[in-house]
Amino acid sequence: MSAETDAETEPEAKAEVETEPEAEVDADAGTAADPEPADTEPEPSVPDAGSESHQERRMREKDERALAREEAAADAAAQDIETVEIRVYRYDPEVEGKTTPRFDAFHVPVEEGMTVLDALIYARDEFDSSLTFRHSCRQGVCGSDALFVNGSQRLGCQTQIADLDTPVQIEPLPHREVVKDLVVDMQHFYEQMDAVEPFFDPDEEPDDSFEEQRQTRENREKIKLSTRCIQCGACTSSCNVAAGDNQYLGPAAINKAYRFIMDEREGEQRRKERLEIVEQEHGVWRCQTQFSCTEVCPKDIPLTEHIQELKREAIKEDIKFW
Amino acid sequence: MAEYYSSFSKGGRMWFLQRITAVILIGTLAFHFFLLHFVNHAAEITFAGTQARMSQVGYFLTMIVFLIAATFHGVNGVYNALVNQGISGTPKRVARYGLALASLLLIAQGIRVAFAMAGFSL
Amino acid sequence: MAQTYDRGAVEDIGRWREFSAGMWAWVLHKFTGWVLVGYLFTHIAVLSTATGGADLYTGTLQGLEALVVVRLLEVGLLAVAVFHILNGIRLLFVDLGLGLERQDQTFYASLVVTGAIAVASVPTFLAGV
Repeated sequence: MSAETDAETEPEAKAEVETEPEAEVDADAGTAADPEPADTEPEPSVPDAGSESHQERRMREKDERALAREEAAADAAAQDIETVEIRVYRYDPEVEGKTTPRFDAFHVPVEEGMTVLDALIYARDEFDSSLTFRHSCRQGVCGSDALFVNGSQRLGCQTQIADLDTPVQIEPLPHREVVKDLVVDMQHFYEQMDAVEPFFDPDEEPDDSFEEQRQTRENREKIKLSTRCIQCGACTSSCNVAAGDNQYLGPAAINKAYRFIMDEREGEQRRKERLEIVEQEHGVWRCQTQFSCTEVCPKDIPLTEHIQELKREAIKEDIKFW
Repeated sequence: MAEYYSSFSKGGRMWFLQRITAVILIGTLAFHFFLLHFVNHAAEITFAGTQARMSQVGYFLTMIVFLIAATFHGVNGVYNALVNQGISGTPKRVARYGLALASLLLIAQGIRVAFAMAGFSL
Repeated sequence: MAQTYDRGAVEDIGRWREFSAGMWAWVLHKFTGWVLVGYLFTHIAVLSTATGGADLYTGTLQGLEALVVVRLLEVGLLAVAVFHILNGIRLLFVDLGLGLERQDQTFYASLVVTGAIAVASVPTFLAGV
């Protein structure tokens, strides 16, 4: 009954599979096809958008790119191209001569399946040990390597070099202060996450503290995508409104609030308070539905949809006179 | 950070009104354009024709609703654009009251004109 | 591009080539909105001639309509209004949580329909100039 247990374990399990792009397709298809063994309970009603979901779109694009890659590989083999040029943003306020931002070019030998993060690690290890960037798990779970790659926010470890136009331009996340090279100051982002008080707080706890607090399958489905957030900050960095308004909570924090507001186990009073936080002037109302966040989210969270749902939820509370 | 979010404000009401006026305007603006450019050509408009239309109570009231909805939607849209640009404090207050005054004047003048068109003088 | 340390709003505009459909929809909706609210104030100002008598009103309107440039601007105004209405309907659906997966296609559809209506209206708008 994996669907009913702890909300937070699922994204990790899923993300681990994502180290191998080919395997991922199968794994996802597998989970979608048989979420439960043959059971008397009916399938949870997954909201069907009626058309391609973001995940389906990305999967389809991934397949298309894999095909294009095979063709390119055949071409490359013929032409004997071995390296890829990456142009990396460099800046170091503490070293004289590096305080003016510049781009350094590195020619990295390409391997099959090489990601942007792999290329950066190679450049650091082989060419310039002062090249600085954050990374940890290398498999799309820790959320530390969101970068601005060829004009779009992406996870370095989840982006195939072969899918990108060359030279590959790698910059730190826009709209954040750069600490050094590709490392940005995430403090403000974490403060915004903190502002929605992202912790589970039910009205009543089970008498036995070891007892599970169960959730219906339908409700689990409803909040499933919102629990996937890895706090990489790609969404907020892509948001045009967040860029101009530092008080705006931003997509990640609002999605985090959504995750708890929509959880049926959330306490009544706590739900009300949390709604009040997101319906501040600089909360959900600032969202202009440009869809930038939804498009860059490496975890395919339908952020805009969640923000819109919270707007409607807030309006419902607001105009309720009965 | 956290303290800032503690005060409760009804940003949602304006958001909601913006949507309500949007729905009103979809109908009225399309109707207005269609009537005064395609049914009656703009070049052939005369005071007599305007007066004939504005003398009908339904049409007159529709135009008043159109005027108020358009003014609110437009001016509130401008205000939102300014707020999204990140204005706060005094400039924000100036924008709010300045724009509110401008819309009141526009609505007042619009109603005055509407009465003049209908043949009453105010 | 990002040669500067300060990554402000201006730099964003410098990235206009990288804007996605949703961004363009927003930019155009704001732009058409500004045009429409500007026109609203001008429109009431012109119609205010009605308070100065029938001849003044008829003369002003017909005098303006006799100018080719006014006629051309009116076609532009129609295009602006139609786009704002169509994209506005798109945004209302987005607010209702409908069709979010197709938000880019619906934006392109609004553009195409706007173009078609604007072109189709040219004969009507320029008649008798």
